[in-house]
Amino acid sequence: MAEGSRFSVQTLSVLAALCAEPAGWRHGYAIAKETGLRSGTLYPILIRLAERGLVEACWEEEQPAGRPRRHLYRLTPDGLARAKAALAEQAPRPHGRAAAAGGRRAAPEGA
Amino acid sequence: MDRFTAALAGLLGRSAGLLPAARREWAEAVLAEAGEVPAGMGRVAWLCGGLWLIAREVGMGRVIRVLAFAAGAAGLVWIGWPGASSNSATTLNRVYVAGALVLLAVLPWAVRRYVGPVRGGWAPRAARVGAYALVLALIAAKAVKDRHGSKLGAYFVMAPGLWALEIVLLLVIVGYVAGLFILTTERVRLTRWGLPAGIGLGAVTGGVLYALAPIGVSVDPDGPSLQWWGVAALALPVAAGLLVGRLAARAARPAVLTPGQGARQGCLAGACATATAALLVAVLTSATIALFPHLVPLEGTRAAGGGPDAAYIAGGGCETCDPVNTVIPPGLRHEYWVEISVGQAGMWPLAFLLIAPFVGAGLGAFAGGLASRSRGTSGRGADDPDALPPPALPAPSGMSGHRAPAAGK
Repeated sequence: MAEGSRFSVQTLSVLAALCAEPAGWRHGYAIAKETGLRSGTLYPILIRLAERGLVEACWEEEQPAGRPRRHLYRLTPDGLARAKAALAEQAPRPHGRAAAAGGRRAAPEGA
Repeated sequence: MDRFTAALAGLLGRSAGLLPAARREWAEAVLAEAGEVPAGMGRVAWLCGGLWLIAREVGMGRVIRVLAFAAGAAGLVWIGWPGASSNSATTLNRVYVAGALVLLAVLPWAVRRYVGPVRGGWAPRAARVGAYALVLALIAAKAVKDRHGSKLGAYFVMAPGLWALEIVLLLVIVGYVAGLFILTTERVRLTRWGLPAGIGLGAVTGGVLYALAPIGVSVDPDGPSLQWWGVAALALPVAAGLLVGRLAARAARPAVLTPGQGARQGCLAGACATATAALLVAVLTSATIALFPHLVPLEGTRAAGGGPDAAYIAGGGCETCDPVNTVIPPGLRHEYWVEISVGQAGMWPLAFLLIAPFVGAGLGAFAGGLASRSRGTSGRGADDPDALPPPALPAPSGMSGHRAPAAGK
């Protein structure tokens, strides 16, 4: 979809991380580790994606021992479709991966 | 380092309260996962990111909104407050400025408190900002126009009835913003492109109507512009209702939009379109008169040419005086008619503000109901690639999903 082209490189990296295992729930720190994004960049992106209905979020239902409950995220069906389209659109670019890696330090454009 | 980290965590926990309820959970999520991050600089950086998130969300939301409103309010005070004590519009202008600012300042809080938060997406927020800008501009332009039209204050008496009318008009103007705020809350279900479509149609129509009569139709009531207003008042809400009814029907596929749902969508779109057009025409007309008062034709010209009021005008009659049999001295008569012409020019757009949303809502509902019944708005399958999701209320927390798995990854 045309909207895919509006994603920033940071947002694409978050979508790629969530796309890797679309049925599973991921927590913020795991996504941060995988994408290399700092919390101050990652969470605004997750907020925008959730507001646009591309990501769904929830808290762990059960209280785990020894740590607080986590906030979990995964792509919605619409989000998965758009993420796949955006990542496919990005893939043929010769320097797409390098650009994405370099862009992680750039100012975030939002989701 | 541990104490510093604990202090940061405490600060983050307390600062989360600065965020709107819908966003608070995100800061709590950062805090909840801080324990996963290795202790030391990594955890400090993680918590600082959480504080940055709050600063960014609060800053981009509340602070920028407050600063923008303060700038608009300062502009309105600068334009609308000054005035000679002999000018009968000075007191009215100051009441307008103060009243409008107080009402506009509490409106977002009141709507959020009693109706709900703003709907997600760019359109509702942009519409709210635009409505504030238009209303502030309208009150500023009206103040300047009225100031031009009441310099001979002794001959422009503000009777109690006139005060009441002006206060009603002020409430109606602020009511436009209130209506738009309610229309853009999560609680009101308007199909995805309904708001941009309604506002866009209204803005185009308002621009055309303004181009037809930049100083208002009252200066030439026999001219063609009044007829165009009538056509627009009928055609605009019908077009908006039909368009948004069809959009809603498409978005509802594979389900079929009921006539009631279509009428509701059309009602909201029609009201939105006519309100936009009416407000835009009122702003542009008032601003034109305020900036170019010398372009306003003399209201008594036709009567002085032999009309029924010719003798009254020639004799120095003062229709805005109390008592009405006051005679204007010959040296002030021309100035009086210049001022009364400026003051009364552009009254039609302001008067139309009173009824526009109701006309639009009624006709839009009719058109929306028709659109939901018409062929072509149903019958295409769920595999239609253009089908949009049905309008849905976002979750109260602002997150799109709240299924709770037993355990996270």
